[in-house]
Amino acid sequence: MTLRADHIAGAFFIGFGLLIIALSGDLPFGTLSFPGAGFLPNILAVLTILFGAVLVLRASESKPFAALAWTDAKHAALVVALTAAAIAVFDWLGFLTTDVLLIFALLVIIERRKLLPATVYSVGLVGFTYLLFVYVLKTPLETGPLGF
Amino acid sequence: METTLHSLYLGFSVALEPHNAWYAFLGCVVGTLVGVLPGIGPLAGISILLPVTFGLNATQAIIMLAGIYYGSQYGGSTTSILMRIPGEASSVMTCIDGYAMAQKGRAGSALCIAAVGSWIGGTFGVLVLTVVAPPLATIAIRFGPPEYTALLVLGLIFLAYMSSSSLIRTLLMACLGLLLGMIGIDNMTGHFRYSFDLAELGDGIGIVPVAVGLFGLGEILATPSADAVKNIISPRLRDLLPTRKEWGEAAMPITRGTLLGFFIGIIPGSAHIISSFLSYALEKRVSKHPEQFGKGAVAGVAGPETANNAASTGAFVPMLALGIPTSPITAVLIGALMLHGISVGPTLVNEHPDVFWGFVASMYVGNVMLLALNLPLVSIFVWVLRIPYAYLYPLIIMFCIIGVYETNNSIVDVWIMLIMGVVGYALRKFEFDPAPLVLGLVISPILEQSLRQSLIMSNGNYFIFFSRPISAALLIVSIGLLGLAAMSFVLKRKDWRSKLAEVEAGEAEA
Repeated sequence: MTLRADHIAGAFFIGFGLLIIALSGDLPFGTLSFPGAGFLPNILAVLTILFGAVLVLRASESKPFAALAWTDAKHAALVVALTAAAIAVFDWLGFLTTDVLLIFALLVIIERRKLLPATVYSVGLVGFTYLLFVYVLKTPLETGPLGF
Repeated sequence: METTLHSLYLGFSVALEPHNAWYAFLGCVVGTLVGVLPGIGPLAGISILLPVTFGLNATQAIIMLAGIYYGSQYGGSTTSILMRIPGEASSVMTCIDGYAMAQKGRAGSALCIAAVGSWIGGTFGVLVLTVVAPPLATIAIRFGPPEYTALLVLGLIFLAYMSSSSLIRTLLMACLGLLLGMIGIDNMTGHFRYSFDLAELGDGIGIVPVAVGLFGLGEILATPSADAVKNIISPRLRDLLPTRKEWGEAAMPITRGTLLGFFIGIIPGSAHIISSFLSYALEKRVSKHPEQFGKGAVAGVAGPETANNAASTGAFVPMLALGIPTSPITAVLIGALMLHGISVGPTLVNEHPDVFWGFVASMYVGNVMLLALNLPLVSIFVWVLRIPYAYLYPLIIMFCIIGVYETNNSIVDVWIMLIMGVVGYALRKFEFDPAPLVLGLVISPILEQSLRQSLIMSNGNYFIFFSRPISAALLIVSIGLLGLAAMSFVLKRKDWRSKLAEVEAGEAEA
């Protein structure tokens, strides 16, 4: 049997529905005349499992899993990793420093741009955005240890 | 009628105040840019720019954000016609005949017809909104929990029925969205649900991080810069006027697109997207020369472009009259008004007439601005497209982070955005449309509260939904739609939706 995209997707949703039911264990289901906090989540989890099962049963209509194109996965993974690093230090370093570093890293590491244009672009763009938000739109942005 | 005209006069006096007119203009320009730029649609655009409105009053905020919404419908046609890339989802159908017209040297005509059609569709929508919304709000005051439950159920089923991808996939996305909407404190019992002891999740997951993650970051992850298309056709200003024959061919599609788009817009779902697909199918069906579709048929541009603008205005009717978000975009707009202390619903027109009528009047003004903007300035918007994608997407990521963080000053929201970006990327790979997920998230609290209140009212008797005329009628329509969808699903029979999906798939592959 060929493993198809909908086998994976359907199995994921079945697992997700089961997880919701497990996590809803301590939530009261209530009664029909006074439904509790677990009432609708449990109903939706069962529906998710049912729809997931239908997806698995009709998986032959979907593409083979091996045929899915993952050529963009490396680019996506790098963007996610750099953005995650930026979010991790955002509260600590503030908007200006974090975003200059993020844009510079995206341009140099992922896009292989030269250092000088990448530096000018990242500093210029983030500086302009900072002035726009803070002084024109009067919307304060997160500040770092140096006060900007 | 006299009262409506008097109120509209009040609206114009608000909308034409220099400050308000400026924000309408700003919204239209930003909206056009959002529509022009691939990878950032109106939902992500509005969400990202939400913090910018914090310094404005409620009227200015809603005028600007709505301008971004309907401006993006105008702008989306530019990339479709000149680059064969839909700037946003509702412009997909315009790619087919718009780009074919451009290749024949009629890019200017296609842009002009799209802009005029958009203007007519948008203005008609506002006219009907002006007349219909206030009396509908009076009726809506009589809506109770069972009516709201039935209306929201109809919205979800209608969205699933109209979806050209798959009924099951749409329902799965809606379930996922509804479940995400249940994270946080249960309003009726005070229980914490799925918040894993994180205080930030106590208030639930916001629509902004989810929408920006799925539609903004998700799109960037799926678009490596090497794949960004550079081939752009530049129209000359003197070629913008269509010929008399082209006007003749566009007239009826614009009329049909206006009516179809508006009525689809009123119904919950991603109306502006669905309406353009339906309009294209309708025009092809009624055309005496269906073989010209795909080769530069004027009707293939005029119909869908008119319909998506009429639908985006139509979506404001349930939002303003009932306080119900019929799409993720109207949900963000409702959220924006709530941030300014304005509760959207049937009482809005009486409690805040300046906001309601100022907003309505600003749409008349905004549509005229867009018509004036889009044609002469098309070459400037095309210039924006020449910025290399490698430099563009870091900028979009930066705005995603600012937009999400500034809404609640919460870094947890930014993490949620990143997770949703990865989810959005995976959903695209497995051919799931994320729009029903966002709609589910938006309506989840209202649906759950209405359902539980209805059951408490009836002491657990489900018959309450069928014993009240409005909710019974809405549920009967829902059951009918489910029956129709199930029939074609079980019999594997190709109905009009399957044929539409084939057109869509063919277009994506071409």
